[in-house]
Amino acid sequence: MSDTAKVVPIGRGRRPARRPRVKTEPGVLERRVDELERELRAERQAKRGDSLLVALARAVSSGAGALDWASLGRLQRALYFAWHSEETDAYGADARFGEALEPFFEFLYAMWWRVEATGTENVPARGAGLVVANHSGVLPYDGLMLQLAIKHEHPARRLCRMLALDMFALLPVLAPLLSKSGSVRASPENAERLLREGELLGVFPEGVKGIGKRYRERYKLARFGRGGFVRVALRTGTPIVPCAIVGAEEIHPVVGKADWLGRPFGLPYFPLTPTFPWLGPLGLLPLPTKWSIDFGEPIDLREHGPEGAEDPILVNRIAESVRETIQKMVDGRLARRRSVWFG
Amino acid sequence: MPRLALTGTASFLGGRLLRRLVAERGADAVLAVDIAPPPTTLQGVRHRMLDLTLPGADRRLVELFREEDVDTVFHAAFFTTPRRDTSYAHELESIGTLHLAAAAAAAGVRHLVLRSFTAVYGARGQNPSFLTEDKRPDSGSRLAWVRDKAEAEEHAFSFSRRYPGLGVTVLRFATLLGPGVHSFYTRLLSKRAVAVLLGYDPLLQLLHPDDALEAAMLALAQGPSQVVNVVPRTPLTLLTALHLADKVTLPVPHPVAYPLAELWWGTGVGEAPAGFLDYARFPFVADGAKARRTLGFEPRYTSRQALEAFLAYRYPETRRPAAAEPEPAEAGAGEIGA
Repeated sequence: MSDTAKVVPIGRGRRPARRPRVKTEPGVLERRVDELERELRAERQAKRGDSLLVALARAVSSGAGALDWASLGRLQRALYFAWHSEETDAYGADARFGEALEPFFEFLYAMWWRVEATGTENVPARGAGLVVANHSGVLPYDGLMLQLAIKHEHPARRLCRMLALDMFALLPVLAPLLSKSGSVRASPENAERLLREGELLGVFPEGVKGIGKRYRERYKLARFGRGGFVRVALRTGTPIVPCAIVGAEEIHPVVGKADWLGRPFGLPYFPLTPTFPWLGPLGLLPLPTKWSIDFGEPIDLREHGPEGAEDPILVNRIAESVRETIQKMVDGRLARRRSVWFG
Repeated sequence: MPRLALTGTASFLGGRLLRRLVAERGADAVLAVDIAPPPTTLQGVRHRMLDLTLPGADRRLVELFREEDVDTVFHAAFFTTPRRDTSYAHELESIGTLHLAAAAAAAGVRHLVLRSFTAVYGARGQNPSFLTEDKRPDSGSRLAWVRDKAEAEEHAFSFSRRYPGLGVTVLRFATLLGPGVHSFYTRLLSKRAVAVLLGYDPLLQLLHPDDALEAAMLALAQGPSQVVNVVPRTPLTLLTALHLADKVTLPVPHPVAYPLAELWWGTGVGEAPAGFLDYARFPFVADGAKARRTLGFEPRYTSRQALEAFLAYRYPETRRPAAAEPEPAEAGAGEIGA
């Protein structure tokens, strides 16, 4: 650096047309960005921890006798804003919430399921994209892992908004969790709006049929809805990125179903696994299988034009071909896999 | 000069609108129609006392519109707060609008503007992230409060279809919150502890009254433009709102909360019937793109600013009002939700 700085001419009032650029190795910039990001996060965390600690300390020092509504309210406020930001985006995604839960999901991603993501370069770095994947695993862990895979392994670090099933938008705890981590309810209006805004979307067209299937039907992709995702992609001219998730089928092996048990709670299915509900809350612990998330070549639909969306035969044909592509990717992965636990 | 008739001038929005119209167009251009006279501070405003729930109201309205040469009607006689007396609310909102629309059509009124609520879409888990104007109101709602408003809109549109001379604008305002607002929302926000549903945190839209007034004025200037949502710039979540107001939240599981709320309402203690729990459970965020397109309405406040303006008004001793001022520098950023 110092030898380039020596020869800057003064006077003339003109800058040299070209400055000698410092050549950097390809990894340096990325590493620097990572570093800065980590620093920023640590700083924010320290600040947050501080305010929470202060609030707690105040509550403790004032004692139980001095506990009144106002201080309780302030304490609750500090607790809430410790892991929520004061503003969300228009769809309800909360950046701080995602950050606060990230260590947990990162643990699941890197240690518990040891996710191996390939082909992330197929996900568009800019503009709209529709990632279509197979759904499995009773609870929507696969969506969260898909989101993390794109966030961590794709150079653009994009937020992939998942289109969540209706049932998850109705359930307590899960509904705000999904919406704050950037998911929106799966509806054609939402999908079209987001794609027109140039967002990256992830969708599981199998829906409930995919996520709640029995263990013996594992890795057999169910029907792809009514092709709604194809219609939206055609209308907006968005490329479809097929994605195969392997390993999620075995985290909660569904050996039987007792749907009548779930009905009073508004659940569309009630799975019986080797551990749930026999072990109680412990049965909710997903099994530590080895996952892989493969992104395939993007499928460009622009040749059909937006009017192709009105052709049901074409829509069904495209939906079926996407399903076959993903099925092939899953089968290829399964053929290479030697162990459920170690890949 | 043709006049503008304004009903529901005793309501918050109607009263504010009356003041604004008198200030801008002069007292002679406005006619207040309400069972209560307008405040004495507004001098020279023409007022006709009329009860919309009475059987002969439509006949009297026709006479009145003809006598006073009315060509535009702004109908703001709706209840923001649910009433225990649902049959009276039905008579006023649904039947009253029927009378008003019939009279407006018969008297050759050109433009009928209805004050409505984004809550008429109904709060449901299946709602899209942004409700657009083409979504039908939830006329099968379990809340009489919502059904009456949906019916009122339907009456206005059916007369508009039969009498093409009568143009209709329905302004669906998001929940009003700001200085001077008194509704059951503000009563909930004045309590020390608020019960919330365990595990739910939907997005809310809180509209500052200044924005609502601006949109109403633009709609009057624009002419008939069917249904238009009037919403703030950005939404915020329910728990964020409650915690910004330093409330203690008491989470209640929803299977228990509904019967409890019904009991609470039935015994006369609760602020609202159990159906309103849906609005604390699921989002009903409306899209403001049409207001921008057709009315040229650009909201100045976000939901958070509306909330802070209200808190500064409600708790002047602890809240600084400065925080509630909209920042012009921010315009342009983050108005997707508006």
